[in-house]
Amino acid sequence: MNLRLELTRFLKLCFVLSSAFMFWKGLSVATNSHSPIVVVLSGSMEPAFQRGDVLFLWNRNERSKVGDIVIYEVEGKSIPIVHRVLREHHSVEKKKQLLLTKGDNNAGNDIPLYAKKSLYLQKERDIVGTVKGYIPQVGYITIWISENKYAKFAMMGLLGLSALLGNE
Amino acid sequence: MFSLAQRFQTVSNQVVTYACFIAAFVAITSWLQLAQNDAFSIPATINNIQPSINVRTSRYYGSQNGKPKQNSKIVFDIDADLSSLFNWNTKQIFVYLTAEYSGSEGRDTLNEVTYWDKIITSKDDAQLSLHNAKSKYSVWDLEEKFDGREANFQLKWNIQPWVGPLIYGQTEGNKTITFPVIEKTQKKVKQKVV
Repeated sequence: MNLRLELTRFLKLCFVLSSAFMFWKGLSVATNSHSPIVVVLSGSMEPAFQRGDVLFLWNRNERSKVGDIVIYEVEGKSIPIVHRVLREHHSVEKKKQLLLTKGDNNAGNDIPLYAKKSLYLQKERDIVGTVKGYIPQVGYITIWISENKYAKFAMMGLLGLSALLGNE
Repeated sequence: MFSLAQRFQTVSNQVVTYACFIAAFVAITSWLQLAQNDAFSIPATINNIQPSINVRTSRYYGSQNGKPKQNSKIVFDIDADLSSLFNWNTKQIFVYLTAEYSGSEGRDTLNEVTYWDKIITSKDDAQLSLHNAKSKYSVWDLEEKFDGREANFQLKWNIQPWVGPLIYGQTEGNKTITFPVIEKTQKKVKQKVV
């Protein structure tokens, strides 16, 4: 066992991880959104988006338009929701904008999903980003891993195996 | 030198690279095709808009603390041919009829609301010809009443692609109406109580 070789390998691993992290955070800064790439988790926007589709977000717009598909997070609920803007009311002078959303595949609007007693979302506070780009299905693996308890072990096993076999 | 892991990595790298190129090619050519077919200036005629006003007191119709809230609905005609929005990268079209209106005098609000929308997934259904169609949604405003305000209606669309960017646009042609003035909001509420 060569200590220097092991250390170099460890350094390489650190480099890969940190560059991935930097890429993610850089994208966050560029798009002004804390999660610039998301995976669709529900079928409420079908047939536009299915579970596992990957969406690219942008959050540097000052106001949302009607028809925009936005991701929002309601205070106290941790799950981000992808739905379409049905109505918008904004002030000409101030920055404030109120939005009502609805899932294409849902019968009614999203008022039951909002925080208690509120009828609208606030653009500044609740919106994580607006959907700009779309890639189908490639995010399904993350859903599979998070929802299947054996998938995690399979991933671990695969990683371990590749580490063992990976000696050049 | 040529381990299994390395081979796997090379192959998957190539697959990802080619997939990216194909996706970009599809997205760009479909956009060019839209531009060539004048998809960004489709004519649409919106006619015969008849607004009606209802007073509601439920939270799901915009009322807060049981205060009466005017809800508006419309009956309308639309003729538009959206078939030029379909090409090989179109998964679905979302068409929506919106009204833009400003707040009552002295308020600096601007509003845009959806009255009707439809998902079209096939070119065969892209010819819109609606007569005396009813609005899908019961619309309320931030304010209590719509009284006498002008609203400008327009038909807009959004293309959901198989891969690539979402494309938005609006049809040419709009229609302005004035909401009717309802004087006896109070009376209606009383009737409900009795």
